Amino acid sequence: MHQLLTDSKVLTAEEAVRAFVTPGAVVGMGGQNINRCPMALVHEVARQGVGDLTVVGCNLSLPLDVLVAAGLVVRTEQGSGNLERYGTLFSWRRAVEAGAVDVRDHSHLAMATRFAAGANGVPFLPTRSLLGSDVLAGLAEAGLARIVDDPWGGGPVVLMKALAPDVSLIHAHRADPSGNVVVEGVTSHEVDMVRASATTIVSVEEIVPDGELNARPEEVTISGAYVSAVVRQPFGAYPTSVYRRYDFAEAEIKEYQALARRGDDAYASWLARHVLEPETFDAFLERADPGGVRRAELTESMRRYT
Amino acid sequence: MIPFPREILAVEGARQIADGDVVIVGTGLPLLAATLAQRTHAPGARLVIESGVVFPKVVPTPVSVVDPRLMHGASRHGSLYEALGGMVQRGLVHTGFLGGAQIDRYANINSTRVAGKRLPGSGGANDIASHCRKVVILTDHERRRFPERCDHVTSPGFLDGPGARKAAGLPPLEVKVITDLCVMEAADSALAVTALMPGATLAAVRAETGFAVEAADVLAEVAPPTTDELTLLREVLDPDCVYFPERKSEK
Repeated sequence: MHQLLTDSKVLTAEEAVRAFVTPGAVVGMGGQNINRCPMALVHEVARQGVGDLTVVGCNLSLPLDVLVAAGLVVRTEQGSGNLERYGTLFSWRRAVEAGAVDVRDHSHLAMATRFAAGANGVPFLPTRSLLGSDVLAGLAEAGLARIVDDPWGGGPVVLMKALAPDVSLIHAHRADPSGNVVVEGVTSHEVDMVRASATTIVSVEEIVPDGELNARPEEVTISGAYVSAVVRQPFGAYPTSVYRRYDFAEAEIKEYQALARRGDDAYASWLARHVLEPETFDAFLERADPGGVRRAELTESMRRYT
Repeated sequence: MIPFPREILAVEGARQIADGDVVIVGTGLPLLAATLAQRTHAPGARLVIESGVVFPKVVPTPVSVVDPRLMHGASRHGSLYEALGGMVQRGLVHTGFLGGAQIDRYANINSTRVAGKRLPGSGGANDIASHCRKVVILTDHERRRFPERCDHVTSPGFLDGPGARKAAGLPPLEVKVITDLCVMEAADSALAVTALMPGATLAAVRAETGFAVEAADVLAEVAPPTTDELTLLREVLDPDCVYFPERKSEK
């Protein structure tokens, strides 16, 4: 009970981003492909125009592309940049090919290994991925990986340098005001990334009363020990999915990809109208889906599979 | 029923999975191949998905490794570190399916960049090629996809040739490349043609391959899909032609 009055981490997206996302930050990006991307938090970063960001994650998808399109990203460290069958990340690809964004390629396991090292407070952890590849050559040159011999005689291993983001952004199912977070479904790279980060903002579909999660702490995915701010934002991952809550919005993702691929004035005005102009994510949702008909459809679609 | 070339690819891909195998797949044709195998000759085959899904019961037709249709009825929803580290690197996954923009003579794969053009990157592909015992690649057979040497080696096949994989510290591997023209295989060697797709010729394979590809003395012909396999593929696994848009004109 003593926590009730003093320890609430609940902020608005505007307050949380202003407090924790600073120019030049290394940003750990949650989500994977079309699932649980922290769109509300990323729209807010874009609106506030926090720049010179290094964005890190395993699969980087829609959130990265929006930040690149807004001109806020100088480097990425990632395992992949794409939306699977919906194509590559077109803004990112253009920026990389133009030399505007510096890229450090990893495999997904190599990135996860770096986050695991950061999460456990050790300077590196080994993997046996990357051996013999040009991915390893690139990382060795950048000082992020090194081959050593297993001291117990098991042959070469690759040491991956720990990665500790300045701030991670994730979207989850629910949290309490102390920042204890529950994620349902797969967690991709997010748990270790958050535990490695200096600060983390979590947006959630729902905030539950203090005490509720403490009754079943084994169900907590990430302890509030690692969480700096909690932002309540229903549909905060739209147009990507949240397991058991709502499906991904295929038509909207295809529309975004078609615009991003062209990268012309129509794309710029889409970004202005949908990302930069709305003052809140709720205002964006209302603009993208007046009356919530589409959101009801996506909720129903997810219900069929869970 | 007359199969489309990519349907033959998917069915031949399914035949690479034995009953009881643990297989890691992304989405697309490999996922269809794996679910087809489960529903025909390999009911005990189990899938691992890199996002952290362990042993799901797939509901047709997922389009992503985080699609809820691919997360249904699983043993566990875990993390990427569990799937790629705790299962693939740990040696619990026998076979992996991969794609790539380039596959070279020694079965190295490039999914990072070709001639200055940026591609998505490794994802879990390097991890799968580094640790699985068998890699299966399903791809269209085009000359630009089969260079002598990849512009960038994202995922290791046999690197510079025999012995190179072992010297780099990687475990042994078998590779099978299945295209719309043929099947090529390698094990610590260059890719060699071992079978032709129905109606294809070795001359056509050589014309569409950027390296001097060896061929077995006697080339088998890949058995066409059975009516049962095609029916499953069309009516159950991809009824909406998500992965076979070429079928739409027939419907």
